[in-house]
Amino acid sequence: MSEYSIIGKPTPNVDGPAKVTGEARYTIDMTLPHMLYGKLLRSPYPHARILSIDTSAAEKLPGVKAVITGKDTPGGKWGLWRRFRELSDQQALATDKVRFIGDPVAAVAATTEEIAERALDLIEVDYEPLPAVFDPIEAIKDDAPMVHEDFPSNINATRHIEWGDVDAAFAKADYIREDRFVLEAAHPCAMEVHNSLASYDKGTGRLTVWTSTGSPYFVQQNLADALKMREGDIRVIKPHVGGHFGGKNSTMPDSVNAAILSMKTGRPVKIVFNRDEEFTTTEHRTAQHMALKLGLKKNGEIVAFEVKAMTNGGAYTGLGATTLYLTGTFITMPYKIPNYRYDGVRTYTNIVWGTSIRGFGSVPGKYCSETQLDRAAKDLGIDPLEIRRINAVAPGYTAPGQYTFESCGIQPCIEKMAVRVKEKWPKIEQDEGIGYCAFAYMTGGIFNWIDTPYAYSSAHIKVNWDGTVDLYSQAADVGQGHNTVAAMICAEELGIGLDDIRLHMGDTAHAYTDLGAWGSRETLMNGNAIKDAAAQVKQKLIDIARMKLGENIAYDFVARDKRVFLELRPERGVSYYDLVKDAIRHNDGVPLTGTGHYTPHNKGMISPAYAMGIMAIKAKVDRETGHVTAQDVLVVHDSGQIINPLGARGQTEGCIHMGLGYGLCEEMPMDQGMLLNPEFVDYKILRTRDMPEIEIMHVPTYEPNGPFGAKEAAEATIAPAAPSLANAIYQACGAEFFSNVLKPEKVLKAIRAKEAQNNATSQAKK
Amino acid sequence: MKTIITDFNYLAAKTLDEALDLLCKHKDDDYRIIAGGQSLNTAMKHRLLTPEYILDIKGVADLDYVRFDEKEGLKIGALATHRSVELSPVVREKYEVLREMEENVASIETRNWGTLMGDLCNADPAVDPAPPLIALDAEITVSAKGEERTVPAEEFAVDFFETVVQPGEMATEIRVPPLPPNTGVHFMKYSQIHGDYALASASVLITLDAAKEQCVNARIGLGGVGVTPIRAKKAEEVLKGKKITDEVLAEAARVASEETSPISGIEASADYKRELAGTLVRRVGKEALERARRA
Ligand SMILES: Cc1cc2nc3c(=O)[nH]c(=O)nc-3n(C[C@H](O)[C@H](O)[C@H](O)COP(=O)(O)OP(=O)(O)OC[C@H]3O[C@@H](n4cnc5c(N)ncnc54)[C@H](O)[C@@H]3O)c2cc1C
Repeated sequence: MSEYSIIGKPTPNVDGPAKVTGEARYTIDMTLPHMLYGKLLRSPYPHARILSIDTSAAEKLPGVKAVITGKDTPGGKWGLWRRFRELSDQQALATDKVRFIGDPVAAVAATTEEIAERALDLIEVDYEPLPAVFDPIEAIKDDAPMVHEDFPSNINATRHIEWGDVDAAFAKADYIREDRFVLEAAHPCAMEVHNSLASYDKGTGRLTVWTSTGSPYFVQQNLADALKMREGDIRVIKPHVGGHFGGKNSTMPDSVNAAILSMKTGRPVKIVFNRDEEFTTTEHRTAQHMALKLGLKKNGEIVAFEVKAMTNGGAYTGLGATTLYLTGTFITMPYKIPNYRYDGVRTYTNIVWGTSIRGFGSVPGKYCSETQLDRAAKDLGIDPLEIRRINAVAPGYTAPGQYTFESCGIQPCIEKMAVRVKEKWPKIEQDEGIGYCAFAYMTGGIFNWIDTPYAYSSAHIKVNWDGTVDLYSQAADVGQGHNTVAAMICAEELGIGLDDIRLHMGDTAHAYTDLGAWGSRETLMNGNAIKDAAAQVKQKLIDIARMKLGENIAYDFVARDKRVFLELRPERGVSYYDLVKDAIRHNDGVPLTGTGHYTPHNKGMISPAYAMGIMAIKAKVDRETGHVTAQDVLVVHDSGQIINPLGARGQTEGCIHMGLGYGLCEEMPMDQGMLLNPEFVDYKILRTRDMPEIEIMHVPTYEPNGPFGAKEAAEATIAPAAPSLANAIYQACGAEFFSNVLKPEKVLKAIRAKEAQNNATSQAKK
Repeated sequence: MKTIITDFNYLAAKTLDEALDLLCKHKDDDYRIIAGGQSLNTAMKHRLLTPEYILDIKGVADLDYVRFDEKEGLKIGALATHRSVELSPVVREKYEVLREMEENVASIETRNWGTLMGDLCNADPAVDPAPPLIALDAEITVSAKGEERTVPAEEFAVDFFETVVQPGEMATEIRVPPLPPNTGVHFMKYSQIHGDYALASASVLITLDAAKEQCVNARIGLGGVGVTPIRAKKAEEVLKGKKITDEVLAEAARVASEETSPISGIEASADYKRELAGTLVRRVGKEALERARRA
């Protein structure tokens, strides 16, 4: 008998049938009686002062019910960094000036989408264009235009991390190398665009908003700030969400303006971004410059590491300040780095802003550090897998003042990889190479920039007379499969089946707070809260069972297979369903309830737990076209106790897809702040046929902070994909890359540069 | 960017005659033909096109065919979808290169809706069917009420998104002559992502003499490297009358790349595309030669 009856068993997504039959309702599917359609008029300038706006012609268009500009809004600013009000920099509609191409300046509500769109053409805005800045290095110059008047040098956030004695360690290093990198932006490209439906009840003064978000709680807080309302008068509901990928943490102008328009008109208002708006005005993975200095001993041991990052933040903050910090921490993992220094600067610029896209800061940083490590290994004549093994941390490792790895399977992961690579790829052909990248990632962030007074996660359970369980939480399934994980954890703890669980998730009015789906937090944080709630109910059932059976108080009970029985005498037990009935009878007819919560304490600066592992990619390069083919991917993953192997596999494959896209083809080229590829014809995403075979192996550890020992599985494996690929090409032909997006022309140039360099060296030798 | 299609009048034809009548009637109006709508819808959503009339020919069943006879060769009606060309047994048997080409056009969904003719009429310079049709010496029939003319495949597109088809006309049929003996033909496109539009594409046809030594005829079509698909005539001359060796192919590739005039884009520079076209001609030419030897 395995330890668990539900945990660890491949379990089809509980939302699967509804999704594949089209029954699942997303915000985008919703309509309400008398609903109006809202549209936003957006700035064509990257930076401009608004001199005047004339909405009179638009107002006269038949079917138009409201036209608003900045002066018609409650004027509250909002942002996720609520704890630091100066970083709450978003607003519904620009009042004084616009800061990027796409900054909204007016909003319309009309009886049809067509009329709303036509009304936008009738709004006259008089702008005074201002000089604009698009690059972080330009942005910090003295004479650079200021994006926000109260932020001199356009510095939005800085982060400094340091431990050990970096300068002394470099002075003693046998080998030092310095590399500079430029990382391109990428868009999360969720299938469901940002969209919201708001309904304001003038009688009660209460607002309900349905929105495609990763955190109904954040939206509720931000709406309260933006609208200057009490949060308790705002109910936010998250229906099924068609993709998040980090782009749905911030509250965007769709929900805020839909709410304001609903207040003005007294009718429900829906705003749906089109794909162009999605690309040009919603959050992306930040472009950045990085400089890395690495000091090693001759044997490959890291002695010192120094990292500088300057990120192209864009017009607003989002979670960019946190991303900046995490770039500086994830880049050190999972290695023992005795002396480390990081300086990160996030600048405001006149482009759409970058934020916490899947991998939350780990993706650009790891690209740099892991490709640099391969070059260092080559210079020192050390095998790339070996240099990672030498430096990998052991369980209990602490980066001073930052983080501690409690469970930690990185060493066994590397050992397993070494064995499997030899079996799987005994022979490497001409122009092929194998590239590696070791990685670690947080399981839920310990950050409270949102300034919640509540537990980070909570869950409430109600057990009904017939044994069905209602589980309530604000936790968000955004396609990552959290609903399935939540139901599995609840069912396992109570010893019942998934079919007994009814989920009521993502509604601020019906459930206690959970901070939402970001930083891979739901499995651990919401999982712990659910387990806590279920354990309370279980205890009540055990108490009744003990009473009924008259058992010795020293004997332990377990709940499993819909029974509660003696651990050492399984035949002595009671049916779960009978117990529930008894318990409710004993309790004056009140259903059994449990309310669980979780807030991390004393777990460092980042996370209570870290998933980690190593990836290997075998790739081939075409020396004539520059085409790179990722042929095969191997991942050895320590994700703790896997809750749902099917879900973990899906998430890992999805990470690799997104990570390879970052490495191969996804990019956001801009000209004077204008995105050049705001549609899928030009924004390239890998398709099924471009995806390599993926083999995933697990090195299970037991994570003491996770429910049933679980850690995250949805983000760690995105960062290693691009560097593994670049390293594979480096091994195949020596071509070096100091930037992601290995488009064929770039690869061809790098190959030719390498060939020229080789020729020059061999000439010199002659 | 607006994404809602502006209003239009919708007219549909069920037969070729009806279609030609409609075209005649609306000759002077601002109209567009719609077949599978795969390219037209996108252009209209982006308001690149805002036609007053849409003439729907999707239901014109008498133009939905893929036929072959030994004398006249292959005939593809204007309403044959990419997918039906791809799955056609006679295409597989006699014109394998067209099936190979089709397999990498977009995705199955788009190939199910999109017609091969619509692809040619949309006249993206990187359109996949054009290079093999040029290499195969295909002709396209353009019809108007009571009139008909044929145009060689390499002359069909005249500029970016513009063809020889005039107001009141429509393209009705593609005719591909039977392959001469000892002939091999191949096509490849290069795009970083499978099924994407080509950065460059090339199709080469080689006919050998009876002894399978000398090249008696060669035709080369290129895509994505100019404002229209092109025929690389000078490169063809390099091959003709010669015993084709790797050196000869390399020379033909060099000449072919000089015949191109690509445009720089987000994905790659003109220089890269020019060189790529040469690389493709060499690779495709080698395979075409092998096929001619086996033919
Ligand atoms: C996602 C996607 C990916 C694609 N990838 C590729 C690719 O890799 N390679 C490739 O070659 N193509 C590609 N295409 C283009 C696709 O093949 C064409 O859109 C499709 O074949 C057009 O045919 P249709 O019947 O849909 O034409 P429509 O969209 O209906 O019409 C296209 C144009 O041709 C005109 N037209 C249509 N039929 C006629 C006719 N008989 N006479 C005169 N004019 C006519 C229309 O007026 C219109 O201007 C892609 C398209 C999409 C949407």
